[in-house]
Amino acid sequence: MDALNLALELILMPLVAFVVGLFMVLMMRKIAARIQRRVGPPLLQPLYDIIKLYGKQTQISHGLVHDIGIVMAVGGYVAAETLLPVPGMDGLADRGGLITLAYLMMIPSLGLALGVGQCANPNGSIGIARALTAMLAYDIPFVIVIFGVAWHYGTTNLADIIALQQAAGPGGWGAATMPLLALAGLFSVHAMLGKQPFEIYVAPAEIATGPMVEMGGKFLGGLFVMQTFQFYTAGVLYASLFLGGGENWLTFLVKAFAVVAIPMCIAFLFPRYRTEDLLKMIWKWPVLLGLAGLWLIMH
Amino acid sequence: MSDLKQIPIHAEGDAGGDPKSEGLFTRVFDELKAFCRSRSLFMLHYCTGCGAIELPPAMTSRFDMERLGIQPMVTPRQADILLVTGYVSIKTLKRIILTYEQMGGPKYVIGICSCTVNGGMYWQSYATAKVLNEYLPVDLYIAGCMPRPEAVITGMRQLMENIRTGKADNWKDYYRRYDHYLGNQQQLFGERWQTPTDVIGEADHYGLAGPETTGPHTALLQQHQVPLQPLEMRLGSRQERKP
Repeated sequence: MDALNLALELILMPLVAFVVGLFMVLMMRKIAARIQRRVGPPLLQPLYDIIKLYGKQTQISHGLVHDIGIVMAVGGYVAAETLLPVPGMDGLADRGGLITLAYLMMIPSLGLALGVGQCANPNGSIGIARALTAMLAYDIPFVIVIFGVAWHYGTTNLADIIALQQAAGPGGWGAATMPLLALAGLFSVHAMLGKQPFEIYVAPAEIATGPMVEMGGKFLGGLFVMQTFQFYTAGVLYASLFLGGGENWLTFLVKAFAVVAIPMCIAFLFPRYRTEDLLKMIWKWPVLLGLAGLWLIMH
Repeated sequence: MSDLKQIPIHAEGDAGGDPKSEGLFTRVFDELKAFCRSRSLFMLHYCTGCGAIELPPAMTSRFDMERLGIQPMVTPRQADILLVTGYVSIKTLKRIILTYEQMGGPKYVIGICSCTVNGGMYWQSYATAKVLNEYLPVDLYIAGCMPRPEAVITGMRQLMENIRTGKADNWKDYYRRYDHYLGNQQQLFGERWQTPTDVIGEADHYGLAGPETTGPHTALLQQHQVPLQPLEMRLGSRQERKP
C-alpha cells in the first residue's frame, strides 16, 4: 500500500507541477502585457503553444544527442518535482533532501548544452556558453542560501524544514528569521528564471534566442514544458525554504505564484546585463548578502 | 490586371488535406490539434519593404496581436508564419526561399502589401520578383499600399479560420509541385541555383511526394547539386595558415 501510494505521488507531483507551471507562464506573459499596456494572451495560451509545437508535422532533428538533450532538460525537472513537497504529498522529499535537489536542478542546463552542441549553430553555442556562465553565477548565492537554511534548521530534509516553519507560525518563517538569506535567495531565483536583466543567453534580437535557435516542433515544445517546470520549481522551492511551504493548497499556490510574480514584475522594466556585468553583479550583491546572512544566523 | 487568377490562392495538385482518421478519439484529437494550431501562431517577419512599418503597431499595445496567440519568433525553426512585408528583390527572394525551406510544416506564408501580389509600384523594375506566389506557396495576401494594422489583423484572423477548418495547407503544395516552384526559381536565379534543404528527400520522408514533385527542373538541379560538406575546422591565426 505504501509503495502504491508513493508511485501515485510520483506520477501526480510532476503533473501538478506542469499544470501550475502553465498558469505561472501565463501569469508571466500577462504581467509583461500589462506593463506594456496590452491585453495579453488568453487563459489557455501556454497550452495551445505546447500542443501546437508537439503537433508539427515535419520535425527537424539534428541527431540522437539533440533528442537526448531535450529529454534530459525535461527529465531533470520531472525528477526535481518529486523532491518538492506539496500539501498532502511528500514524494521523495524526506529521502532526497536539499542537496540532491540542487544537483537535479543543474541537469536541465547540462542536457540543453548537450542538445545545443549537436545543432552546430554558432548562435546556439554562444547562447549555451552564456547560459552555463549565468548558472555559475547564480548557483553560488543559491548554494550559500541552501547551506544557510540547512544550518539554521539543522537538517537538509525539505519536509522537516517546512514542518518546523509551520510549527513556529509566520513569525518563524525563513523570511522572518533569515531576512538577508531570503533576499539573496530572491536574487538567485530571479537569475535562475532567466528573465531580464539576466536574459543575456536568450537575447532574441542579437543571438536569435541562443540555445533555442535550432529548436523547432517537439524540441521547442519540450523546452516550453521545461519552462513550466522551471517556474514551478523556483516558486515552490523558495516558498518551502522561506515562506513555510503550504499548509493547504490555497496558501501553497498563493505563495508559489507570489514568489514568481515578484521577479516578473521587476523583469520587464529592465534591459539586460552583459555576461561579465551579470557575473560581477551576482557575485557581488547576492553573495555578500548571503554571506552576511550566514554570519548573522551563525552568531 | 489580366492575371486575377493569382488571387485568391488555391493549392493545385492533390489537395486532399490530412487523411481522415478513423475513430472518434483520433478525430477529436485532430480537431484539437487544428484548433491549437490556429490559436498559436509564431511569426517570422521577413521585413523587406515598407510594410514592416505597420507590424509594430499591430504587435504592440494599440492592437496587440498576442491576444490572438500570435507572437514574433526569431528563427525559421521556431516559426509557423513567414511574413513577407513588401517588395521582394531577386537577392532577397533567395534568402526568403532559404528561410522558408528551413521552417517545419505546417507553415504558412503571408504576403503583405501590393508588391508581393503583383510587383506593385515596382512592376517595371528589373530586379524585383513580382508575384511571390510563383516561387513559394503563399497562403494569404494582404493587399494595400500599405495595409493598415486593422487589415493585417483581419488577414491574420482569416488565416486562423483557414487553419482551424483545415483549408490552409498550401505548404504541402511546395512538396507536391516542387518542380514547378523550382523551375520558376531557376528562371530567376539561373541553372545553378540550389538550397541546402533536400526538399525531394523531405517530400519522400513525409509521404508528400506527388507526380509533380520531380521533373525536368529537379533533374537539372541534381546535375549541379553539390552535397553539403561540414566546414573544415582550423585552429590558429590567419597568418599562420598561409604557407
